[in-house]
This record gives sequence, structure tokens and C-alpha cells, in this order.
Amino acid sequence: MYPEFTLHDLLRNSAELYPGKAAIVDGKAEHTYEDMARQSSALCAALQDAGVEKGDRVGILMEKSWEAIVAMLAASQAGAAFVNLNPLFKPPQVSYVAKDCDVRVMIGDSNKLAAMEPGTVERAFYKGDRPDSDGVSGELTDLTEGLQSGDSPRETRLVSEVDLGTILYTSGSTGMPKGVSTSQRNLVVGAQIVSTYLENTKEDRILSALPLNFDAGLNQFTTALRVGATLALQRSRLPGDLLKGLRRHEITGVAGVPPLWSLLLRGVKSIQEEPLAHLRYISNTGGRIPQANLDELRRLLEPSGTKIYLMYGLTEAFRSTYLPPEEIGRGTECIGKAIPDTQIMVINKEGKECAPGEVGELVHCGPTVAMGYWGKEEATRKAYRPNPLAPPELLDVERVVYSGDNVRRDEEGFLYFIGREDGMIKSQGYRMSPEEIENLLISSGLVHEACAFGLPDPDLGHQVIAVVSLKDGGYESVVEEIREYVAKNGPPYMVPKAIMIQDDLPKTGSGKIDRKGISNAYTNG
Amino acid sequence: MAISNGDARTEIRGWLKENVTGSGEVADDYALIENGMLTSLQTVELVMFMEERFDIVVEDEELDEENFGSIDAIAGLVESKAAA
Repeated sequence: MYPEFTLHDLLRNSAELYPGKAAIVDGKAEHTYEDMARQSSALCAALQDAGVEKGDRVGILMEKSWEAIVAMLAASQAGAAFVNLNPLFKPPQVSYVAKDCDVRVMIGDSNKLAAMEPGTVERAFYKGDRPDSDGVSGELTDLTEGLQSGDSPRETRLVSEVDLGTILYTSGSTGMPKGVSTSQRNLVVGAQIVSTYLENTKEDRILSALPLNFDAGLNQFTTALRVGATLALQRSRLPGDLLKGLRRHEITGVAGVPPLWSLLLRGVKSIQEEPLAHLRYISNTGGRIPQANLDELRRLLEPSGTKIYLMYGLTEAFRSTYLPPEEIGRGTECIGKAIPDTQIMVINKEGKECAPGEVGELVHCGPTVAMGYWGKEEATRKAYRPNPLAPPELLDVERVVYSGDNVRRDEEGFLYFIGREDGMIKSQGYRMSPEEIENLLISSGLVHEACAFGLPDPDLGHQVIAVVSLKDGGYESVVEEIREYVAKNGPPYMVPKAIMIQDDLPKTGSGKIDRKGISNAYTNG
Repeated sequence: MAISNGDARTEIRGWLKENVTGSGEVADDYALIENGMLTSLQTVELVMFMEERFDIVVEDEELDEENFGSIDAIAGLVESKAAA
């Protein structure tokens, strides 16, 4: 066993211990750990030939696939940071990310590369037919050739745990999405911690139903990689496909966000007739499961031995807390206790630790605390601060994450989620800032002023609602036109469920659009 | 109730137009799910509409990408169900 410092150390261990074992199942194809090591080394060489230097960023713009997995490992081996772009992104979001973190090389599906805005990146590796595109200004390389060359990395670059491993794009309550700079250490420790409390082993067959650009989805892969388990890639979330995936691969563990469970619960009859006997655990993250759905999942899955873990995490610190299965009766607001090797503090407005029952901000302290927001100093200083409870003699050595989430802790130390004070929208497990949606609405050219907010919804977390004033007077037919523009230029989860027209949007004293007031009026009205 | 493939197509198109932004001009063989136009949750809503409108039952296992990947596929499913 190699010591575990980097993502590709995890691969090295599993490839040495279990070379012939299935690492990834992608559709009908199975790929072993040996394949994974060989192809990622070959792609690493190809990336180096394409000019990728240590510290560069390599973008991955593809549907979840074997190639997407190998691409992450190849970048890691080359000492570059991989940046998984949400496959649901439309060209404007792809451009934004590529520019924001200066993506050197993009590895992508041909159709996605072909759709990119002109000059998005200099170099690309394509999967599929050669894309006819001005999105790539320089050379295009066939990804399959890169994977199959059998080459070894041109030079061995020393990659250490303090190097940047990946950038995870996520939204906050303001502005455009931010890249959370995540170190190799964060990635490795995240895999160690989660595989410990989920008790993962090489016997596990894990269903990957979450996107790889999402911390929990990425963590499922790193966890499987670390223990030598098999990861089955699941693209469709339709109930029939989920049931087939769970049964065909005899899945032992699956992580999901609340809407996934609603979809799975469509299959109640099927699960009752043929229980999911292999399923050892499910874990929920990305929002609270409605109590009725949790009760139904327990009724359906617990008798055949499935454990249910409720998890809470924020991208800025990867994973934060979990509720062990035996405590599930505490209700869906309960987010449990800190993950191993981590301290969770509840801090009040005075910067002091809260008493039991007192509501304060959840502050995360531990080895998964990321390096900050890429290129955003002010935002980084705001969220990543010195540990408020550390002895002053320790000076500025340790940073913790202020989550912006209000919680309380009970007498026994269990944490309960209360809510947020800002306007961040969280729908279907995706975080969005209202401004991001408002910018998209305004760029349609039809909208004068826009206000977006989240309306609480038991299944989705929030529904996205927009109130707009129009440039050329109020015609109802424009609403559909605006909606179509948003659908074409943004991911589906950003399309407002309702767009309402109001002639003049109310302003605050400082002249800004009064988002809180508008949201309250619609939520309570 | 006999439902022709053409009827099913018209009804499904009507529902999509009403409920799924941008679906107004898509071809019958356009990959609705793969291209991210029709979300999983919308597909479930579409099933509820179909069950009511065409008086058919879609089994849990049938609610998959093969049957719901395009207007062609969905109309084919309705037709085979209604004939049974």
C-alpha cells in the first residue's frame, strides 16, 4: 500500500491490490482497475504532450462516463487540477467557467464541444466524431487515441497533498458561481472519512446517480476508488432505469438528493414485489427529504436490511455531518453530528459557541476544509476564517468554513438544520444565487428588471420564481419567450417555474431591488 | 379505447408544449431526455397525464429512457398499451 496523499495514489493502490476487479460499469462495458491505471497513464502522457503543466486546469465537459472518470485521474497524475463541468450547462455557463479558472485543455463530448461559444478554450480532446467548432481555437485530439496509446507519462511530476486537485463550481447567495479550490488532501481525506462511516469495502457495488461536478457525486467515486469497490454509472434517473440499475448490478450503496428518492418511490410496487436485497445503505444529501418520503423509504427498505444515512455537506468543506442510521427517528431536520476527524461548531453573532438549543451558524473545522474560492479573495476571506475558538497563541494557522447555515445543537450534541438568512436558492440539490438567474433573465434583452427567489417546495427544496418588469410594456406572450431563452441558455434547474410580470419592482432605501420584500409578498400572498 | 399513433403523438406534443419549455419545435425522434429537455420529474408528470388521458397503466419498470426518450418512443408505448 502506498500512503494516500493524492487521488492517483488511491488508484495505484487499488490497481495493485485488485487489478482484474471491475472498477467502473458504464452501460454494458466493464472496466477493471488495471484498465483504469493504464488508460489514465496514457491520457496523462497525451495531456503532457498537449502542453499541460503542473498547476494547470483541465476541464471535463461530458456526460458521466468511463472516459470522464479516466480524465480526472489523468489530470491528477499530470499534476493538473480537473474541473468537472455540469453536463447540463449551456454554452454561456461553459464559457464562464473556462474563463474564470483559465481552463487550458477541455476534454469533452463532441456535441458539447461543438456547441461551445467561439474561442472558449485553446485545446480539446473530443469523444465521438471530430467536432466542427470554433469553440476550440487550437488543436483538437481524438480522446480514444489518447486513452489507447499505451504510453506512460512523459515525466514523473511530484504531486503532493497540498496541490490543487480539483475546482468544484458552486453558487452562493450572491454573484455568479464560484470555484471551490479543493486540494488533493481534501479529496483523499473526504474519501477516507466517508468510506469509514459508510463502512465501504471492496465488496461494495455503488450506484453513481449524482453528477460528478457535485461534491457528493465526486466523493462516491473517490470512495469507491479508495476501497476497490465497483462503481456503476447511472445517467437516467427515471424510476424504471433506477430499478434496473439497482437490480442488474446488485447495488449495495447509493447516494442521492431528495428528488431522486421521490422518483425511486414511484417504484413502490416493484420494490415490494422484489425487495432490493443487496442494498446495504442509501445516503441522502443536498437537502431535507420530506418526512413522508423518509417514512416511506424506511417502510420499504429497512425490512430487507437497508440502512438510511442522512448527510449534510457544503462544497466549501466537502462533507460536514451525518446522522447514523440508528438515529433516523430524530426527524428530517436532524443533520446528525460531525463526520469523523471533524469538529462542527455552532457560533453565535458574538463569535462565541452557542449553548444547547441556541441557534447559530454552522462552522466547519477539519481536514476537508477547502483552499478557498478560486480567484475570489473577498469571498474567500468571508467564508474561510480563522478558527474562532482556537487559542490565540496558534495565530492564523487554521482556517474554518462559515457555512451561512443556521443550526442548533441539542443537549445530546445532535445538530438540527434551521435555515439560511440570505436569498440562496437550492433546488433539486443545485445551489443558485438569485443574481445568476436574474442576469440570465436580463440577458434575454426582453427584461428590464428582474428578481428571482426560491419558493419553499417539499420535493424540490425550492421552486425558482421570477418577477420581472418588461422592456417594452407588459405582454403576457413575452413570458413564454423569456422562458425559452432561459431554457436555451441555462441549465434546466434554473428555468423559473413561474415568471410574473410587475410594472415596477419595489426598491429598498438604497435603490436596490427589494428581493426580500418581493419574495415575502409572493410567499405569503 | 383505440388510440392511433397519430392521436397519441398529438396529445403528447400538446402536453409537452404546455409543460416543457422549448419543446414546441422538436422532431419526433429528438432525444428529449438525453438532451436535458425533459427532466425526470417532468417525465413522471407526463406519465400521470398519459395514464389519465389514455386510460392506461405504465408499470414502474416501464418508466425508463427507452420508452420515454423521444416523442416516437412515447407514442409507441401508448399505442402498444392501448391495443393490449
